[in-house]
Amino acid sequence: MRVNFVLSEVATGLRRNLTMTVAMILTTAISLGLMGTGLLIAGMISDMKEIYYDKVQVSIFLADDVTEEQRAGVEDQLAQLQSEGEVQSYLYESKEDAYARFQQQFSQQPELVQNTPPDALPESFRVELVNPERYEVIAAQFPDGTNGVDQVRDEGDFLDRLFSLLNGARNATIAVAVVQALAALLLISNTIQLAAFNRRNETNIMRLVGASRWYTQLPFILEAALAGLIGALLAIGGLVLTKLLFVDKALAGPIKAGIIPPVDWSAIATISPIIAAAGVGLAAIAAYVTLRLYVRL
Amino acid sequence: MIELQHVTKLYPASARPALDDVSTEIDKGEFVFLIGSSGSGKSTFLRLLLKEDDPTKGTVVVNGKTLNTMSKWNVPKLRRTMGCVFQDFRLLRNRTVEQNVAFALEVINKPQRTIKRVVPEVLEMVGLEGKAGRLPGELSGGEQQRVAIARAFVNRPLVLLADEPTGNLDPETSEGIMLLLERINRTGTTVIMATHDYHIVDSMRRRVIELNGGQITRDQSRGVYGVGR
Ligand SMILES: Nc1ncnc2c1ncn2[C@@H]1O[C@H](COP(=O)(O)OP(=O)(O)O)[C@@H](O)[C@H]1O
Ligand SMILES: [Mg+2]
Repeated sequence: MRVNFVLSEVATGLRRNLTMTVAMILTTAISLGLMGTGLLIAGMISDMKEIYYDKVQVSIFLADDVTEEQRAGVEDQLAQLQSEGEVQSYLYESKEDAYARFQQQFSQQPELVQNTPPDALPESFRVELVNPERYEVIAAQFPDGTNGVDQVRDEGDFLDRLFSLLNGARNATIAVAVVQALAALLLISNTIQLAAFNRRNETNIMRLVGASRWYTQLPFILEAALAGLIGALLAIGGLVLTKLLFVDKALAGPIKAGIIPPVDWSAIATISPIIAAAGVGLAAIAAYVTLRLYVRL
Repeated sequence: MIELQHVTKLYPASARPALDDVSTEIDKGEFVFLIGSSGSGKSTFLRLLLKEDDPTKGTVVVNGKTLNTMSKWNVPKLRRTMGCVFQDFRLLRNRTVEQNVAFALEVINKPQRTIKRVVPEVLEMVGLEGKAGRLPGELSGGEQQRVAIARAFVNRPLVLLADEPTGNLDPETSEGIMLLLERINRTGTTVIMATHDYHIVDSMRRRVIELNGGQITRDQSRGVYGVGR
């Protein structure tokens, strides 16, 4: 195959429909950028799940007026549950421990720490369950407001809500990416039809002198693939900028506090080839299908 | 070499067939005029030989290959053995004479050194050796048709199909084109030319196949345009 010929055909084709080409590249870029964002969020969610669910705990907060016996009673019950295989481990946290942890967790908000008296936080047992979903069983064992137990609280409950929110964000991003991808595919198809129309003299002659189908179609498919690649590069550039200008700046606090996992360069490096392959592959397939369906070559 | 057996071509959305039970045979090296008024089916006849279209009924055989059953992957191979020329020349306006001819070889992957050798040869043969660098817009109609003939012939086809090649040319220029087609025919290439230019047909005295409403109404060797003329 004559590489120069094919490349010059591709370049001419792209230049001739500049408006359409730009629209096609931008739509592809937006679609791929959103797809990348969706993938990054998905990665973030699984990182967060690992961080959080790993240390999902049920907290048994003790009342302010808990007695020594009541505290020992709770601990006995926990030991019992541990031997029954319900509880993985448990830990007693005194008021002082709780305050120290609070100070560390909210080090970014010194006013909040200053306004909280050291004895405001209750003492508690931090219980790690063998199966975090068995929270109800534990709660039933320690009814609120009896035997020195003030309240049993499950962090998993909060996490479930948090993650359903994040999953929603991821799904919405991917849904918009899919809609954008459809728009991109239609634009690619349109551009290819236009390109084929513009080059109908050439392709008619190629057909009559016996050029192979591949030889005739390749410039169009490469044209689409190149636009897809440029779109993918723009999308990757967009993700890099988003990391530098938004994630690393605006979300610096929560990331440092360990609330949100950082977006690593390695994550972007992992999804970049996926984005590029998706851009090139989908554009090429769209072009091929368009040529098969609409264009006589 | 070329054979049509009971070929009928009915275009969709058309009541009358463009070709109606046409049977004929054309031998290697023949020069055949395909005549008939506008709409009599001449172009359709040629299109079927190129497998640009398939017959509705009947069999078309070219170079020993039955086109009806030929897979579309083999069509390019078939067309490499055929050249075609049209009334409207069909040159690429933005390429020079030389590039137009070379294009036909480039797109079928001929090596560059072959192209460099055969393009000047064929341009000399059609009498355009001095105009290789011109654009089609800088040539007369007759010269443009010579470029088209050069392009059709450069790959030494077994068959040359010409669909009213002189339709846009004055009689004198047409004569030159006919001399060129005759010369090509003498190299052994079968030439099938659709025309309704009776001067040409009458002066050449070659085989004439006359189509009328899609049917062959006359097939005569060394014929003239009109019976009894
Ligand atoms: N692509 C087409 N679709 C429908 N009808 C066609 C098509 N091409 C030709 N025809 C019809 O077929 C008949 C023969 O046409 P054609 O082969 O072009 O004749 P000629 O070349 O002798 O003028 C005409 O009636 C024409 O209208
Ligand atoms: Mg015609």
